[in-house]
Amino acid sequence: MQRKTSIPLEVLRYGAIFLVLGFFVFPIFWMVLTSFKPESAIMVSPPRFLFTPTLDNYYHAIVDKNFFFYIKNTLIISVISTAIVVFIGSLAAYSFARYNVGDGHILFFILSTKMMPAIAVILPYFLIFRDVGKTAVGKALHLGLDQHGALIVSYVMFNLPFAIWLLVSFFQDIPRSLEHSARLDGLSRLQVLRKVTFPLAAPGIAVTAVFTLIFCWNEFLFAYILTRKLASTVTVGVESFFTLQGILWGPVAAAATISVAPMLVFVLVMQRYMVRGLTFGAVRG
Amino acid sequence: MSAAPESAGLAGSPPPGKSGMSDRWFSILLIAPAMLITLIFAILPLIQALDVTFRMGDLSRGKIGDYVGLTNYRIVFADNQFWQAGWVTLKFTVVAVGLEMILGVAIAFLLHGATFAKGITRSLLILPLATSAAVTGLFWRYLYDTQFGVLNWVLGLLGLPEPNWLGDYTIALWSVVLFDIWQWTPFVALIALAGLQALPKEPFEAAELDGASKWRVLTTLTFPLLKPVLFLVLVLRTIDCVRLYDAVAVLTRGGPGTATETMTFYLYRTGLKLFRMDYASTMAVFFLYVMLVAAVFALTPLLKQFTDRAKEA
Repeated sequence: MQRKTSIPLEVLRYGAIFLVLGFFVFPIFWMVLTSFKPESAIMVSPPRFLFTPTLDNYYHAIVDKNFFFYIKNTLIISVISTAIVVFIGSLAAYSFARYNVGDGHILFFILSTKMMPAIAVILPYFLIFRDVGKTAVGKALHLGLDQHGALIVSYVMFNLPFAIWLLVSFFQDIPRSLEHSARLDGLSRLQVLRKVTFPLAAPGIAVTAVFTLIFCWNEFLFAYILTRKLASTVTVGVESFFTLQGILWGPVAAAATISVAPMLVFVLVMQRYMVRGLTFGAVRG
Repeated sequence: MSAAPESAGLAGSPPPGKSGMSDRWFSILLIAPAMLITLIFAILPLIQALDVTFRMGDLSRGKIGDYVGLTNYRIVFADNQFWQAGWVTLKFTVVAVGLEMILGVAIAFLLHGATFAKGITRSLLILPLATSAAVTGLFWRYLYDTQFGVLNWVLGLLGLPEPNWLGDYTIALWSVVLFDIWQWTPFVALIALAGLQALPKEPFEAAELDGASKWRVLTTLTFPLLKPVLFLVLVLRTIDCVRLYDAVAVLTRGGPGTATETMTFYLYRTGLKLFRMDYASTMAVFFLYVMLVAAVFALTPLLKQFTDRAKEA
């Protein structure tokens, strides 16, 4: 678009953009910076920007607090949850998008569970997992309290509606005619799904996977209430840096940086696709 | 879990409906796993919660006990703290969502007109979204610190008053709002920006030819065209704000006193700190009921959009 630009106005614009970015980036920048500070540079006023960097905080977080244990748990739980959500969600979303199954009513039902506050079901979940964990099946599937299975099940349930919502709009974007001609070529419905539709929807499915992974990775409430030690995730791990003497900001910053870094990198790589995906087909073009 | 491999070998004939399985059954089979999960893990716990609302449920004394009729409902509805928590949640949601929408749209316009360093701007803006509220929220306590915090240091340099962000009960809730704004305004901004960039060109060119003023273009063209996207963001943000838990848990723990105790936090405290499962479940059921009523209004326009698209094909 061609427009008249006046220099003072542009200076104002970029000044404003700079301020806005400063506000949104600074807390993360400060967190990373703090993670490399020696203790003497943390609890000081005024805040210090120059210091001799140290890895003490990372040593404390990784060696003393065994923080990679939480990373491992988080990785297992969020990757498995994401795989299940994306698989089941894609099948359902395809059915909604192509066959309009339930004429919107079933979709409404599934989406309305997104409105459900986690806290409303967390008490029953707590009791259910406590009891199921004692049964043979529960033991085999690690479904008890403080076990990976319990969190995976919770995350699948709580991410499914959002994933389906996202995926439906992606499937709607795929022209029906392609599937139709594939059917005419003699492929079965399931083959069409596997060889035509899913490959075409791959970017959308990837975006959904990214979102689900981020939500699982960052989830706190379920992890906090359904785990104690063995299956705790990073968000709970960072909480454990609360001590009676107060919060150890250096190690907290280090642990926080470690737990946030994978998702930051991930988002930077996927950024373009994510924003487009989130408009749920409300934006065409 | 694999869905319906048995249909794979059968369907050789092209027109739908002539293969081994009708389209109807095929479509039902596809949603079956999702339905099953939703029914088991959403509806069953809800039924259980509903059951507990009619019973005595003091877990500190052992098991869920006898049926007591509507007693729990009477007690919860007479509980000032419950309504107080509802009021805090309402204040938080209205202010946070309102400001996020206004700021987000403003930032979107700001970025839309920019021609320089677009990619990097968007990349930086998306970062807060990727972080966990429980993790960065905890770190914000350090930024808010009255002694060592950066925020008050900057305010001091500017000669402004230095509030006790999390300790002053008149301010604490707004400090949580500020954190939420930090985390979620980029979400609104990026989606609004995507919306702006996808606007069709023709009506704007026509308006320019007609000599319409900038303000008229904005109110009669830009905003009406952006409405679907903005409505969607509004719904998503409102759902999340009403359910807010993480930020409160790590920033203030509901304090000072109960100044920042939202509905979810009060529920959590009642159920898992005081072990009154009966009261907590009653609140949860009431909470859910309110949300479902809201869902009908919020989701219906979005679903209409979906069914329209499904029919147009």
